[in-house]
Amino acid sequence: MGRVGSGSGELMDLIRTEGQRMTAAQPSETTVGNMVRRVLKIIREEYGRLHGRSEESDQQESLHKLLTSGGLSEDFSTPYPLLRANVIEAINELLIELEGTTDNIAMQALEHIHSNEVIMTIGYSRTVEAFLKEAARKRKFQVIVAECAPFCQGHEMAVRLSKENIETTVMSDAAIFAVMSRVNKVIIGTKTILANGALIAVSGTHTLALAAKHHSTPLIVCAPMFKLSPQDNKMVPVFLTLLYSRLIQFPNEEDSFHKFVSPQEVLPFTEGEILAKINVHCPVFDYVPPELITLFISNIGGNAPSYIYRLMSELYHPDDYEL
Amino acid sequence: MSTEDLIEAFRAQLRDDPDVASAVAAIRALLGFLKQDRGETMQGLRKSLRTAIDTLSRVDSSVAVSSGGELFLRFISLTSLEYSDYSTCKEIMIERGEIFLRRVSLSRNKIAKLCHPFIRDGARILTHAYSRVVLRVLEAAVESKKRFSIYVTESQPDQAGQKMAKALRKLNIPVTVILDAAVGYIMEKVDLVLVGAEGVVESGGIINKIGTNQIAVCAKAQNKPFYVVAESFKFVRLFPLNQQDVPDKFKYKADTLKTSQNLTEEHPWIDYTSPSLITLLFTDLGVLTPSAVSDELIKLYL
Repeated sequence: MGRVGSGSGELMDLIRTEGQRMTAAQPSETTVGNMVRRVLKIIREEYGRLHGRSEESDQQESLHKLLTSGGLSEDFSTPYPLLRANVIEAINELLIELEGTTDNIAMQALEHIHSNEVIMTIGYSRTVEAFLKEAARKRKFQVIVAECAPFCQGHEMAVRLSKENIETTVMSDAAIFAVMSRVNKVIIGTKTILANGALIAVSGTHTLALAAKHHSTPLIVCAPMFKLSPQDNKMVPVFLTLLYSRLIQFPNEEDSFHKFVSPQEVLPFTEGEILAKINVHCPVFDYVPPELITLFISNIGGNAPSYIYRLMSELYHPDDYEL
Repeated sequence: MSTEDLIEAFRAQLRDDPDVASAVAAIRALLGFLKQDRGETMQGLRKSLRTAIDTLSRVDSSVAVSSGGELFLRFISLTSLEYSDYSTCKEIMIERGEIFLRRVSLSRNKIAKLCHPFIRDGARILTHAYSRVVLRVLEAAVESKKRFSIYVTESQPDQAGQKMAKALRKLNIPVTVILDAAVGYIMEKVDLVLVGAEGVVESGGIINKIGTNQIAVCAKAQNKPFYVVAESFKFVRLFPLNQQDVPDKFKYKADTLKTSQNLTEEHPWIDYTSPSLITLLFTDLGVLTPSAVSDELIKLYL
């Protein structure tokens, strides 16, 4: 932040370049890009405030703006000595907000979980863990955890939940459909939320969502707002780990976000003779379409998947969607 | 400006630039009308504009002309709220009108830029009838070195699909023209459906050439994404709940409306596709889900 004040446009370009470098380093970690976009939006807002633009005027494109505005887009060249202090303060507020997200989500637990309910979840999510623990303080309910092979994070989730005296059952992923008829609610975490309300979550979540839809069981996603990523599924860059020096291509639609890890977990290297004759894949993520999701619980409250695009426009500026 | 001059100006716009959207041509003609208007009051101006818009709708009864006209009227009202003196108001209106027209001329390129990443290399796309926006999107996809093939419906009764196929062949895109009835048959082979729209209604649904609804239903049945590309000036304040709710003045051509004895015996030229069948809408305001459309309209009209 050394040379700020002389040009917020320069600052934004600097941040953008750094953001591009960071996201290129690990494309599946979308939160990095999201935070860069939040900071860029903060700078735009602070600049706008100092420039004298009123709070009400929308930075976004809209039909209204199309008809009433006098000129085309603004540049960021006017220097303001106060800009630096304002931006630093706004970023500190953002940090406080980020630190409080898990608690904010957990606070809403009592409204959604009732006594004697059977809740299903998959894998291990810190947010869901906090959510369920908060509810367990006042209510008695059961949790069924799908183990989420091959890494079996579900086991760790079950251990943590049972330490809080929550009645927990672990089961294999194959039994999800069989057990679903006895479940009241499905509560899951996610890696990323996309602009259309879809999820990129741990592998196995799509199966869980389909089973829930079939039984008309509500599917609740607990995720903080910083996971909301403006990249629509097609634009998330491909991240492929080369397995045995073979490049894997998937023909289905939502393949651009796939991340693969060593297939050692699926079929260990000790099974030597088979390995030469087969291809083994171990995808990490799943795409869950928005029609299968009932509710998003985030630090700003509960929202329907069809409303996510609106939250997106409040968090990020459209010019920043492509870093 | 007399009605004949107005109609002539509108027709001239369409003749000189066959690529221009009919709504834009209507707005240009109305702007010309505004410049030549001799009135001294806001009320008078609005009244004469309403008659002008009616005249234009009688020439070209499409939804797009109607939405363009409504937008222009809204634009006039919004500007008049800010300035009380009529002559300054009028100058500002003319200036803003020019800026607005400049902006909308860029909208097709904006849409193409947003939409072409959704077309994968090796994709098979189904489209319907002739849409200049879809053509622009496919051009952009070709420019970004993607290979794909297109199925286009013949689109009776005017065989607009053949026109589309010809334009696509010029771009060296492999095209197959299929019968309108063959959509259900071909749907399993395609990866996505991409159509334009004549109008986008408040619920997020679209009004487009007859046959679009059928394609949307087939796409939904086979889980294929159904994408719509439309510029934002096509957003219209209608909320049809079913096909019958779409006003007759849009369903039939202007000449048919004037001459026909019994409209129920005429074939409609458009149909309504409900928002539940649409996956995403690509507009110059961004990529919108159908639920976002009503948001945009509310921001403008209320």
